[in-house]
Amino acid sequence: MASETTKGNPILAITAAVAGWIVPGLGHLVLRKWSKAAVYFFCVGALALAGLAMRGGVFSAGEEDLFDRLGFFADLGAGAFYFLAHQIQTAGADVAHATGDYGTRLFAAAGMLNLLTVLEAYDIGRGGDARNDESGTGERSLGEPK
Amino acid sequence: MTRLFANLTHFGALAFFALVVSITFAFLSKRTTRDRLEYSLWAFLAFLVIAIGIGWLMYPFSQ
Repeated sequence: MASETTKGNPILAITAAVAGWIVPGLGHLVLRKWSKAAVYFFCVGALALAGLAMRGGVFSAGEEDLFDRLGFFADLGAGAFYFLAHQIQTAGADVAHATGDYGTRLFAAAGMLNLLTVLEAYDIGRGGDARNDESGTGERSLGEPK
Repeated sequence: MTRLFANLTHFGALAFFALVVSITFAFLSKRTTRDRLEYSLWAFLAFLVIAIGIGWLMYPFSQ
């Protein structure tokens, strides 16, 4: 008997990916992956808010240095947290102290982590094998060998 | 919250990072609650042990 392949919806996949980038977890919410949506929102949000509370630096576009440009792309991954960083962090960055430096890294980590969740949302939307949420039915996880 | 995180030590920041990233990785890569719990715990401990180990390895160079 031929195995049945589930075809995903490319529009849904792109919508979920963009939504997940703008608001962490929103892409999974669109895909009705409730627990993943909640966990990703709180984890990425906690990292980003902690980074800002520690007065970490947020990189902006048009940086000259290559590492600063990489930092910009990492920060941009945090979506809404990046665009609202200056509103949230009213006191501004203070990377002269170690705590501010840790904050910079935490915020960049939040962006990179969110990009991973965006990739997963896209994969689920495309009908990939990352449709493993809450079922425990033996479906393959993202990154697990077939 | 700002005050809490502003006074975070290096180890505190490491532990917080390790906890949050471990949970996210578990949800990205495992499908059952039990697997996710086990993976979170192991990844969290691995983050701490490896970071402390690397710290001790670098210690002689700080003198």
